[in-house]
Amino acid sequence: MPNKKILIVDDDPDVLQGMHVRLKANQYDICLAVDTFSGVAEARRSAPDLILLDLGLPAGGGFLVMERLKMIPSLAIIPVIVVSARDGLGNQKRAFDAGAKAFLQKPVDDNQLLAVIRQALGEPATAKKPTLHDQGAV
Amino acid sequence: MSEKALQVLLVEDNAGDVRLLREMFSKERADSFELTHCLRMGEAERHLAKGGVDIVLLDMGLPDGHGLDTVRRAHAAAPGVPMIVLTGLDDEALAAEAMKEGAQDYLIKGQIENRALPRALRHAIERHRMQAETDLIRVQQIQLKDEFLSHVSHELRSPLSAIRQFVTILLDGLAGELQPEQQEYMGIVLRNVKQLQSMISDLLEVTRVQAGKLMIEPQCISIADAIAYAVDTLHGAASAKGITLSSEIASRLPSVCADPMRMRQILIILVDNAIKFTPANGTVKVRARASDEDPSLVVLEVSDSGCGISPDMTERIFERLFQTSDPSLEGRKGLGLGLYICKDLVTRQGGQIWAKSVLEQGSVFSVTLPIFSLPNLMAMAFRKEVRADRPVTLVVAELGSQSGWLSNDVRAEQSHGVREVLQRCLHSHLDILLPKMGVSDAAELFFIVAITDSIGGEAIKKRIQEQLQEHVGRAGLTLSTSYRSVPHTKRDSNESTEEYLEHVAAGIQELIKVEISSRMVVNA
Repeated sequence: MPNKKILIVDDDPDVLQGMHVRLKANQYDICLAVDTFSGVAEARRSAPDLILLDLGLPAGGGFLVMERLKMIPSLAIIPVIVVSARDGLGNQKRAFDAGAKAFLQKPVDDNQLLAVIRQALGEPATAKKPTLHDQGAV
Repeated sequence: MSEKALQVLLVEDNAGDVRLLREMFSKERADSFELTHCLRMGEAERHLAKGGVDIVLLDMGLPDGHGLDTVRRAHAAAPGVPMIVLTGLDDEALAAEAMKEGAQDYLIKGQIENRALPRALRHAIERHRMQAETDLIRVQQIQLKDEFLSHVSHELRSPLSAIRQFVTILLDGLAGELQPEQQEYMGIVLRNVKQLQSMISDLLEVTRVQAGKLMIEPQCISIADAIAYAVDTLHGAASAKGITLSSEIASRLPSVCADPMRMRQILIILVDNAIKFTPANGTVKVRARASDEDPSLVVLEVSDSGCGISPDMTERIFERLFQTSDPSLEGRKGLGLGLYICKDLVTRQGGQIWAKSVLEQGSVFSVTLPIFSLPNLMAMAFRKEVRADRPVTLVVAELGSQSGWLSNDVRAEQSHGVREVLQRCLHSHLDILLPKMGVSDAAELFFIVAITDSIGGEAIKKRIQEQLQEHVGRAGLTLSTSYRSVPHTKRDSNESTEEYLEHVAAGIQELIKVEISSRMVVNA
């Protein structure tokens, strides 16, 4: 079975790189985008299985990305996980209302991130490559 | 310069005193004061509620109100209006008390000099205005500071996020194997990153406490789960310091009505603190038992063999940003927000928290929580109805999703709103919406106990469907409603009310258990 493809949309290059390394190590194919516009464009171009979406993005923001995706039937069905440093209060509800599958607060616990991804992709709950050192969120 | 006449409300039942005061006012310029007179407190309250009064002159002995009570009532009727109390010679102590309750000043009857009255009035108004201004500035400052904290915490999270990501990438060997020494040092970095992260969370939590935005969803839970979680989570931290961390849970401990996530949070804060303040080879113990004094409470205790707290500090430690000035405790890390958050969380779940301590011997932090008792709940809600031998029905509203699975996030997000709508569908004295009774995989269940037969059950079901369908549909979820008659509600002639309620409650709980387990996804 080919690897599942995940699109990461975040304007922080460090976050992008970090997630890229972590997810690649768990046998996911990765594509990246850094703003609202390129997020939608990349989703259209590479048709990912899942999108990890930041909220504070240049040129519109994560909510606008979700709105745009909803307008294209082939993209509207891609599960979206919001990963944001913003306060969960209010934003979490807004994200769910906009159709997000989950809301994760940065800094994200790696095990939690992987578990939520597997759940959204309908994969079995066991990790392909368990992280050893990040157990137990603080 | 022409000023508007000051509207003075005189509340006084003694005709002689009224005449004296009127005479004093009559000596003032005609346009400077306008006097309205009430004989009774009730009348004064109505007048104050209408507004337009600049200051109240209040006698503390009225036919329908006495002493400090009059002050409180006047204050409640018009919180923004300054007040001067009138007292007799022998009442000066009471007058001083009145000032603590919000009166600006007091005048002793028979000792008011002519020119002193207008001066006292103007002085009281001015003082009140300055007080209000100071209060407003303080509120604005707190708000500004909270907004600032919230903003800063958010900004701190992003770089911290990147640090944590890459440290764990290195530790997991995703960028090549690490030497043991490198591994150790990276472990230290990660531990400190987590520390920083928890401080930032505390900061945000405190701004929520201040803004009253902290969400609490009470459920019927066993406190043992939260204790096991806290002990598990902090086991590593304790053994790293050579501390024995253990728990002791009384057998047949009743369920409590509390938010499970918040209970974990409370216990983590208390146990974490205990570990911090206990030297190597010490002990930290978590206990849970039914309260000896009050059977409607469960007591949780976190005790340690640590340095202890001096007696004058056992209350102050729950204050916001409290930090010990004891140099021997400098190893302690944190912002001094944990216990403050704890106290808020406990209080808002209907409990209490306090500390007892002996210096150099250790401390005990105690938390009380209300137990969940269906018979008590029914006794309170049904009052008279319970004596009658009436049928009882259990209505079940089930929130689900097309995919057959509900994430915790969606549950948390939806359940508050659903509860509000359900509450509107019920008669408050005949139906009880139970707190969350347990978790099933496939659906979120809401239970209603109603004193009614199947016809009434059908009516409630219909109301819920009508009111909730749209709300639930908007969130992309499904709703189904059903009801069942509670068996054996016939009351034996020799049964006391308590026994009868226990009896019915047991029947209800049995039904609930069946409803929940029938929706569990069976694990292979």
